[in-house]
Order: sequence, then C-alpha cells, then structure tokens
Amino acid sequence: MRVLVVEDEKKTASFVRKALQAESFAVDVCHNGDDALAAAGVTPFDAIVLDIMLPGRDGISVLKQLRGRKNSTPVLLLSARGEVNERVEGLNAGADDYLPKPFELSELVARVRALTRRGTDNKSTTLRVADLTLDTLTHKAQRGNTSIELTAREYRLLEFLMRSTGRLCGRMMILEKVWDYNFDPGTNLVDVYIRRLREKIDAGFELKLLHTVRGEGYVLKEAP
Amino acid sequence: MTIRTRLTLWYTAIFSASLIIIGFAMYSDLVVEQRDKAMRYHGTGVDEDAGEDITQIILIYGGTAVVIGLLGGWWLTRRALAPVAKLTETVEKISEKNLAQKIPRSHNGDELDRLTEVFNAMTGRLDESFTRIREFTLHASHELKTPLTVLRGETETALRDNTTTPAERERANSQLEELTRLTRIVDGLTLLAKADAGQVALNLETVRLDELVRDCFADLQILAEPKSIRVELESCEDISLRGDRHRLRQLLLNLADNAVKYNQPQGRVTMSLRRLNHFAELKITNTGAGIAPEVLPRVFDRFFRGDVAHGNTVEGCGLGLSIAQWIVSAHGGKIQIASEPSKLTIVTVQLPTA
Repeated sequence: MRVLVVEDEKKTASFVRKALQAESFAVDVCHNGDDALAAAGVTPFDAIVLDIMLPGRDGISVLKQLRGRKNSTPVLLLSARGEVNERVEGLNAGADDYLPKPFELSELVARVRALTRRGTDNKSTTLRVADLTLDTLTHKAQRGNTSIELTAREYRLLEFLMRSTGRLCGRMMILEKVWDYNFDPGTNLVDVYIRRLREKIDAGFELKLLHTVRGEGYVLKEAP
Repeated sequence: MTIRTRLTLWYTAIFSASLIIIGFAMYSDLVVEQRDKAMRYHGTGVDEDAGEDITQIILIYGGTAVVIGLLGGWWLTRRALAPVAKLTETVEKISEKNLAQKIPRSHNGDELDRLTEVFNAMTGRLDESFTRIREFTLHASHELKTPLTVLRGETETALRDNTTTPAERERANSQLEELTRLTRIVDGLTLLAKADAGQVALNLETVRLDELVRDCFADLQILAEPKSIRVELESCEDISLRGDRHRLRQLLLNLADNAVKYNQPQGRVTMSLRRLNHFAELKITNTGAGIAPEVLPRVFDRFFRGDVAHGNTVEGCGLGLSIAQWIVSAHGGKIQIASEPSKLTIVTVQLPTA
C-alpha cells in the first residue's frame, strides 16, 4: 500500500509519514500542490492525504485537477480551518474523507486504512467475528448460543465496529459514523457506550473481541 | 422636560405676548380714533362699555392667539426636532453587531446633520476596532492550530514508540490530555470568532427536532449512569423545523451534558419538548447546586467559570454555553436559564418552527 502525503508543514508531514510507515504503508511526501499533481500522475497511489492550505496551488484545486484527470485515488483532506462549509466543499470536490486539524494521529491512520480498504467492505447482511454474529436486517446479535439485546445506538456501534473488523476505530470516527456528530462533544460518550457494549458481548466469554487501544481508539478483532 | 416641550412653551409665550401687545395697541388706536370722531360729531363722552369690551376682546383674541401659538409651536418644534427623534431611534438600535450600518444624513449642513456625521464617524471607528479584535481572535485561533497539530502528532508518535519508558509514557499521556483540552478551546474560539464575523453558514434543512431530542435523551441516560442521576423525558411532541442538524445536536448534547456535569450524585434531570404557538420549547432541568442570582446574567459569557469559591472542579472548555447561545440565536430562537440555588436549574430554549 502506497500513500502520498501532501503537507507543506515539514514537522506535520514528518510525523504523519512516520505513523503511516509504522502501519506498513509506503509513504511519499510532497510539500506543494504542483509536486503532488506530478507525483500522482506518475505513481498509482492507494490513498492521498491532502492538506487544503498549501503554498501556491491549494488542496481543493489539486483535488479538482485529480478528479478532472479521472484519477479516483481515495483522498483524505486535512484542514486547519475545520468548518462545516469547507468539509462540504471538499467532499463535493471529490474528497472521500475530511479531517480537521489538529487531529489525532490514530484517527488519521484509521481513516487512511479505511480509505485503502474501501470497496472490500463486507456487504453481506450477516456480520460475523469469531462466534459473534449480527443480523443487519433483524438487528439481532448473538454470541455463541446467547442472544444479545441491543439498544438502537448500541446496534449502530456494533455494526460499525464489525464492518471495520480488525481496524482501529478512533473516537471522532465513531462519533461521526454512529452518532452523526461532526464536532467533538467533549464528553466520554463513546467510552461509556463501548464499556456497555463490552459487557454485553464479552462478559463471561473466554475470548475477548472488543479491545481498547489506549489513547487511540477501539478495535474489534478475534486475535488478542 | 424635553427640548420640544420647552421650545413649544417659550415659543407660545413669545408669540402670544407679541400678538396681545400688537392687538392691544391696535385696539387702543381704534378706540382713541373713535372717541375723537364721536367728540367731533356728537360732542358726547367716551363709551362707558369700552373697558369691558377691551377685556373681552383681549380674552377672545388673546386666547385664540395662545391656541394658535401652542399648535404652531408644537408643529414647528416637532418638525425641527424630527431628525433628532430619528437619530435617537437609529442610535438606540446600534450594537456591536451592526456597527457598520450608517445613519442616513440629510446633507443640509445644519447642526443635526453635523451631529449625524460625527456619530457615523464614531461608529465607524468602533466598527473598525471590533473587526480588528474579531480578526485577531480568528487569526490567533488559526495560528494555534498548526503548532497544536505538530505537538499532538509528536506526543502521539512518542507514545507509539516502543522504546519509550513507562514514566515518559505517563508524561506523554498527561500532555495529550491537556492538548485535547487546548484543542477544544481553540476549536470553540474559532467557531465563536467566525460566528461573530458572520462567517458561519448554517446548513439548513427540515429537521425532526423530536428525533434529535430522543437521540440526545438516550445519550443523557448513559452520561447520567455513573453519577446515579435519574433522568426523565417528560414529553416529546412531534416537531419539525428548519435548522442545522449537526448544530442542533451539538446544542442538545451540550445542555444535557451540563445538566449531568453540574448535578449532584443521585440528582435528577428532566427533558421536555413541547409546541408553543410558533415555537418549539425545550426544557432541561437539573437538581445541581444551581447558579447564584448575581452570576446568572454572566453564564453565557465566554470563559465564565461561575463561582470559583465553590471549588468548581467541573471540566470543560468554558465556551459551551456561549456556543449554545450562538446556535440558538442563529436559529432565531431564545435561550434562558433560571435557577433556584440548591433546588432546581431550568434551561429553556425556544426555537421558531415556522
């Protein structure tokens, strides 16, 4: 997997590169829009992390050029302005995801991972991780032979985690997808819901499925 | 006494006095002339009724003169002072929100036109200062974002590094917590600075407010659990309105979170949504320590922390209620807080439905 990081701020570019490399991505870095367009024209990337504020040609313009050339590489936009209008503008210009600065590194990595896996999502109506199953039609969950009662929100959370099995899910990402919040509510809602969900699906079972990655987020997976 | 009344009275007095004097002078001339004529032709004396006639005439004509003077004076001063009334009305409407708006001038070069000009110049200067402060806040919050991103990223990188010792790890985690707080403050500041400058557009759509309230109530139940706070949704009428879904969610969660944060263990929180003519009325009550009457008017102020002596240990960025107030007013609504210390605190939000 090869990712292009377009970011003029050298330090930011550096730790983003390190974090992605640690997740075994191959990473190329550009510091301005024209270099980015040139690089994307030559190398087929699996994803592009694109800062909006760049010297010269800005991120939105780079994105439009890319899409104009029928290049459909998934793009994650980064922005220091972080306003709703900009998010909408970015998504309309063809971005696949948007992350306001300052972001959590884990959040960024999780999103890049989600982008590179896009299209291989499990589309079946029954989701399965180890002996945990979730029927997306009837909203019924079952662990082994025990059926599990879920509230509407718990169901949405579990469905999201199961669709991202094995991938780290950051808090902001969960809030966005499960709660439909595009702001940081400054509460520990996600943690509390995860705790409740864990009690329902993991308590009393030898094999734990829902894991916390401290300070980063949560992951649902079979292997410990 | 207003300038208008004073001017009217003075004008009336002078006008009436002059009319009376002129009338009296003319009358006495007439009387003298008539007496001379009468003496010349009939040789008789002065008409004995003349004295009475004089009083009567003075009363009738003088009275009329006073009434005319009064009406004329009233009309004249009203006309003369109309620009002042207009000026007052316009100046009254000036707040920090519409300083750029100029008072229309007559350009006739009189004192009032000059006053208007001076006023306009003053509000212009105020507008400039306000704009400069807003821009400063906006720029400052933007400028803070890049270093924050770097700090955050590098701290997280250190945490991911396997060679980091447990002590360093603990330090990095504590730093990360503070960075998260700082990020929230900067985000809040950016939002408010933009809202002040009128740069935040609401993403308006038809929103089922009752659904948002139910969603928020589900979250409220979860948030209240650790403090064993009882929560209750008293009523939730079906209400749709034009609004920004994300902002309204933010508003609801913010108020619900406050109701839990400022509550005491085993306390109570109630929520209700009702239709009230052309308004949707949302009420959230809590049984916390409450807010003292003297600080109540300031709770919407930015970074206002309430009673420091109360040992306020509640976490937050200090901008929550300011943001809530902005969201409500951006939707054309009103938000109020009433509190009876250590009994009940009631937050009421009214949002127009039409």
